[in-house]
Formats: sequence, C-alpha cells, structure tokens
Amino acid sequence: MIKPSDDIIIKTLARVLAPFILLYALYVIMHGHHSPGGGFQGGVIMGASLVLLAITHGLKETQKRMSEKSVAIFSSLGVLIYAGIGVLCLILLGNFLDYSKLAKLLNVPLAQARSLGILGVEIGVGLAVMAVMFSIFYNIAMGGKRSEKDNR
Amino acid sequence: MDIFFLVMGMGLCILVLFVLYRVVYGPGVFNRVAALSAIGNKTLIILLIMGFVYHRVEMFIDISMVYALLNFIGTIAASKYLEMEGSIV
Repeated sequence: MIKPSDDIIIKTLARVLAPFILLYALYVIMHGHHSPGGGFQGGVIMGASLVLLAITHGLKETQKRMSEKSVAIFSSLGVLIYAGIGVLCLILLGNFLDYSKLAKLLNVPLAQARSLGILGVEIGVGLAVMAVMFSIFYNIAMGGKRSEKDNR
Repeated sequence: MDIFFLVMGMGLCILVLFVLYRVVYGPGVFNRVAALSAIGNKTLIILLIMGFVYHRVEMFIDISMVYALLNFIGTIAASKYLEMEGSIV
C-alpha cells in the first residue's frame, strides 16, 4: 500500500499539475486526427495523472476521487461507447463503424458525420484506457489484497 | 540552418552515451536516477531538434510534452521507491 508523501513540495506540485495533465489529455484525444495522439494516448496521459496523484497523495486519497466502483463503470462505459457507435451504424444499414450512416441521425453533412463518429469512438477508447490503466496500477499497488481494510 | 540542427542533434546523441555510462556503472542509486532524468531531458531536446529538421515542429512539440510529463512521473516514482526502501508497490 502506498503511504502519502510528507514532502510539501511534491504534494503541491502534483496538485497543481494534475488538472493541466487532464487538460492536455483532452487536447490529445480531441486532436487525434490532426497531430500524433488519439484515444489510446490520451487515455494513457489521463491514467498518468491518476498515478501521479496515487504516488504523491496515497491510494486512499485517490480512491475518494476515483473509487474502484467508478473505475469499473468507466472502463465498461468506454467499451459501450465504442461498440455502441459501431452497432448504431449497423442498425442504420451500414457496416460496423461506418460513420457516414450517422449523417442522417445527426443531421449534418457526410464529412462532418465521419469526423464526429471518429471523435466519439476516440472518447470511448480514452475512457476505457484511462480506467484500465489505473485499475492495473491499483491492483499491483495493493499486492493482491482486495481492499484497504484487508491490509490492516 | 538544417545542418546546424542536425549537428546539434548528433552531438546530443553522443552525449547521451556518456550519461548512459553513469546509469549502468554509476555508484549508488541516486546517480542512476539523476542520470536517467538527464537522459530524459536530452531526449526531449533531440525530439524538438528532429521537429526542426523535418519542418514539423508543431507535431513534435506534442510528443516531447508527453515525454517530459512521463519522465517527471517516473522520476517521482523512483524517488518514492528510495524513500520507502523498496515498497512503492
């Protein structure tokens, strides 16, 4: 189990830096089709901000912001968004992840529908990767114990 | 100007080798952590120089920012490991 750090410099720096890391992760997800990046990379950066919080403030403090329950919900929600957009295109008589069929549903031109469809898929991938990254870190840090109570 | 950046990048690549010696043979863990951090900084600058050489700085700035961020988190994790004497995980 990770104990909170006593150093005020590290704690303050992590607290100040974490929102900017999240903002940068959102930028990487949104700009995935113009610059390097995309859903996976943005999700990893988001997970890195959670890992930074867990290292500096301890796992208990991080769990108040991102509990095990919400990790499970986020990872499932990401997969649901990804598969949901794919199946929605199937329902609209297209192929799996055929974004151009979304144009009728969203009431936008064809090219914009493709762009929005890719953005939605990338948001789903980012959410799932963020949750799974933190879940892996959390499970390694707990060393196989089920929860904080078992550790005492 | 491209030649200048190319030569600077190659010089930095050679300097990384000297720091790598400190990582492998360095006495003690603190030298190794500091040397790893230095290698990260050099890699960041090399990435930016590559951006200048390829005339696509705006792409490489994104990559170098992520690299700096992950390097910072890695250094903090390593120092945390030293503080707790082998029990970060």
